[in-house]
Amino acid sequence: MRESKLWSLHILVIPVIAVLLGAHFAVQHYAPVFYGMSVEEARSYEVMIARNKDVAQFVVYMLLLAAGLYHGLYGARGILRELPLTPTLVKVVDVGVLLFGLAIFALGVYVTWWTFVYPIGG
Amino acid sequence: MNKPYPDRLGMKGWMYAGKYSFERYLYLGHRLSGLGLIAYMVLHIIETANRLRGEEAWAGLMALFASPPFKVIEYLLFVMAVFHAMNGIRLLLVELGFFLGKPKTPIYPYKTSVLRHRPLTYVVMIIAVVVMVLGGSSLFF
Repeated sequence: MRESKLWSLHILVIPVIAVLLGAHFAVQHYAPVFYGMSVEEARSYEVMIARNKDVAQFVVYMLLLAAGLYHGLYGARGILRELPLTPTLVKVVDVGVLLFGLAIFALGVYVTWWTFVYPIGG
Repeated sequence: MNKPYPDRLGMKGWMYAGKYSFERYLYLGHRLSGLGLIAYMVLHIIETANRLRGEEAWAGLMALFASPPFKVIEYLLFVMAVFHAMNGIRLLLVELGFFLGKPKTPIYPYKTSVLRHRPLTYVVMIIAVVVMVLGGSSLFF
């Protein structure tokens, strides 16, 4: 993909992150305001599992995972590419960041899916 | 074929490479907070995978996060997120051409785009500080 398209995507995911991170904060840190439960209760195992069985939550996590990782790792890649690197090392950075991002994304998807299909009552 | 000018300063150039303006330090802060946030996101994904180890392991981890040192780390994370988001809004607005005024004939002494949007910079940073203080008061008190 052309560099300008990658950069445009880096900018376009910002509103996605802003909205979904807001929703994530609302659930995790402002549970007393939005759900009438304490933060400790919202972070308990049962509540966390029950929450992650909701399709909307599942979608929010998948999108936030993809958008956040892309935005952050694209930024980190840009910083690394500004270092005095040889063309070979630039390619190593590109491929390394891509593989690292895919691995972390795969872990996030696996954990979220595992929670989504986890049987109630354990 | 012209060779690109080598980046001789490397990362040292981030910290100090001459006389910097306020916005240059915001640039440095934006990079450092961005790196901090992506490092946290990766750790957060790994840490939340702890649920696979069962309820007891999860409860132990949540108890650790409720301890005072982690509260401070959580607040630092909040500060980084607020700063990065507010400075990012400033960068986006300027990138899209807002707060730069109409194009004018350049007459010495020149007013750069940085100086033209400096009121926006101050407003955005004041809002960021207010949000950081409010967030800290709700987290600690």
